[in-house]
Amino acid sequence: MSQSTDLSWHQDAEENGSRPPLSLQDVHVSYRTRKGSVQAVRGVTLDLQAGESLALIGESGSGKTTLGLGIVRLLVETAQVSPGKIIYRRDGRELDVLSLAEGPLREFRWRDCAMVFQSALNAFNPVLKVWDQVWDTAKAHRWNNREEVRERFLDLLRFVQLDPDRVIDAYAHELSGGMRQRALLAISLLLDPQILILDEPTTALDILTQRTIIDLLRRLKEDLHFTMLFISHDLAIAAELADRVATMYAGQVVELGPVEDIFYRPRHPYSLGLIRAVPTVTGGFEELSSIPGSPPDLINLPTGCKFHPRCPFASERCSREEPALEKVGDNHYAACWHTDAVQEDIERNGLRGKRRA
Amino acid sequence: MTPIIELRNVTKHFGSGRDRVTAVDSISLDIEPGEIVCLVGESGCGKSTTGRMVVGLLPPSEGQILYQGQDIASMEKADYQQYRRAVQIIHQDPYASLNPTQTVRQMIVTPLLRHQTLGASRNGGGRRGRRRNVERRAAELLEIVDLTPVSDFLDKYPHQLSGGQRQRVSVARALTVEPRFIVADEAVSMVDVSIRVSLLNMLYRLKDEFDVTFLFITHDLALAKYFAWEGRITVMYLGRIVEEGPTPRLITDSRHPYTQALLGAVPEADPELAKKKVHIELRSAEIPSLLNLPTGCTFHPRCPYFVPGECDLVVPPLDLIPDGGSVACPVRMSEPGQIV
Repeated sequence: MSQSTDLSWHQDAEENGSRPPLSLQDVHVSYRTRKGSVQAVRGVTLDLQAGESLALIGESGSGKTTLGLGIVRLLVETAQVSPGKIIYRRDGRELDVLSLAEGPLREFRWRDCAMVFQSALNAFNPVLKVWDQVWDTAKAHRWNNREEVRERFLDLLRFVQLDPDRVIDAYAHELSGGMRQRALLAISLLLDPQILILDEPTTALDILTQRTIIDLLRRLKEDLHFTMLFISHDLAIAAELADRVATMYAGQVVELGPVEDIFYRPRHPYSLGLIRAVPTVTGGFEELSSIPGSPPDLINLPTGCKFHPRCPFASERCSREEPALEKVGDNHYAACWHTDAVQEDIERNGLRGKRRA
Repeated sequence: MTPIIELRNVTKHFGSGRDRVTAVDSISLDIEPGEIVCLVGESGCGKSTTGRMVVGLLPPSEGQILYQGQDIASMEKADYQQYRRAVQIIHQDPYASLNPTQTVRQMIVTPLLRHQTLGASRNGGGRRGRRRNVERRAAELLEIVDLTPVSDFLDKYPHQLSGGQRQRVSVARALTVEPRFIVADEAVSMVDVSIRVSLLNMLYRLKDEFDVTFLFITHDLALAKYFAWEGRITVMYLGRIVEEGPTPRLITDSRHPYTQALLGAVPEADPELAKKKVHIELRSAEIPSLLNLPTGCTFHPRCPYFVPGECDLVVPPLDLIPDGGSVACPVRMSEPGQIV
């Protein structure tokens, strides 16, 4: 189906030179609550490189969705983003996203940075046809050529392998979950954003539908070199689609590296714990082990390393001093005092548990 | 041995007239005591409906469900009550299945008192003694499900617990009536990845320590493989069983094109594996509506091995295969089906 779809409109990755289109610098997000301040994101520094797909993985409460929403400034009013900076670059210009006024912010959203939300049904207005929502979006961004917009959207629907005539005049409830997710993806691409943020793009979809979405996203990544940020609790999404992976825990990136490093040579106990907790389908039986304890209370965070109460490698130092991200290999960083012990453990015991044929 | 649960040609319709859907279409299943059986399939395949019928929450439209050889539809009242106690369910959503106004203690103690599994006569001491026994038993149950120290949890309300802890409370609550059989319907799907395995391991321990037989319902083949490696997996599609067999055979050498498509499609948490895997191209990505099911094999409009004049006419029977289990696909049943 890719043959006829002209997506050459997509911006060339080189236009910014080698500068990343998105830089997060020491970003903090907290929510005010009656019980106190919930520290959802605590000092995330991250560059999203042009053409790469980066997966943010972590459990519920790790801050990954908050961070994603923070980038497009869609957080609730009780959220406070400070300190920290979010720098966006396109065509040689640089924007400080956090200080954008309402008008430029609306321009930035969707045209520069589009977000595909977690629940595809809730993302649509139930009383508007798909086309009406697309047309609204185009008009809001001062694109008033109805024919052009329609042509473009039909192209996009074909790209996401939907029957354009069936979908364009449908209401959201008339589409299946997988069709909705694909339609949403098509809409997100309408204004040719430079960056696509996808929050749990396949969660709550059936397996075969998940596969069509994953294959579609892979085409975006491999054929069109889209710059994508995936947010998921599902390690498999990262394994299938990411070039780089950032593991988040208690609001921080605790490990960051190329996908093979994170999956085969993790150096943070939490990444290792996740890998050892997730079964694969293919191959024989593998012993799994879960991470003891539960995610921390974000109002009363543990002292030192936030993972230390659950960590099998924790030492006395871990409860006192919080480790920062340190280089442990090429483009590979981990925030842990015991990265060597993690490596030794993998060498001794293997990455995953014992397999039985 | 008499199966603990037996389904004989069980069918379940919902609605009537033109709106009638057949959620479960004439399925048969024997589960022996001590066995672990996984029911796997996508949403709408009838797996949860089947689970609810097994527990007695839904009556079958046709066919019989037998508990220890007795048809539950024609049981005497006392036998029926005993069956309802012996067969328990753990629901998917621990945020919806616990009463938000009750403490953990109330949720565990109430059924213990109601079902008199710890009668005063057993230990003497009248009402007060019985209450004491019940409290002691409640504490034991929480220990069994690893909610320790118990005193930290007895007076908590559900909103003070994490998803994993709530699910443990659900299990403890099911254990109050000393069940022989537990239907776990997507019991770990809503729990964080890092905690899933410990929940599964806890359930697995119940099988050995309390002789509980499990029907484990899930859409996640990787979890099914982990939990039921020594048991069986049954794959459902649009209300019918399309393949079943011992887990290792089903995972490494599946025969039904639908099972193969599922196994090939599952995203793998391993980049090499993800690249290497063979994906089966389906002829259509859309699941047919239950209101308008395809004729013959309901998978035929999507199946890459579709044989016109055969698959669209005849409903394929579930035939035994020599390698273990059975397959409802005469076209492919003897073809080996590795996916890596």
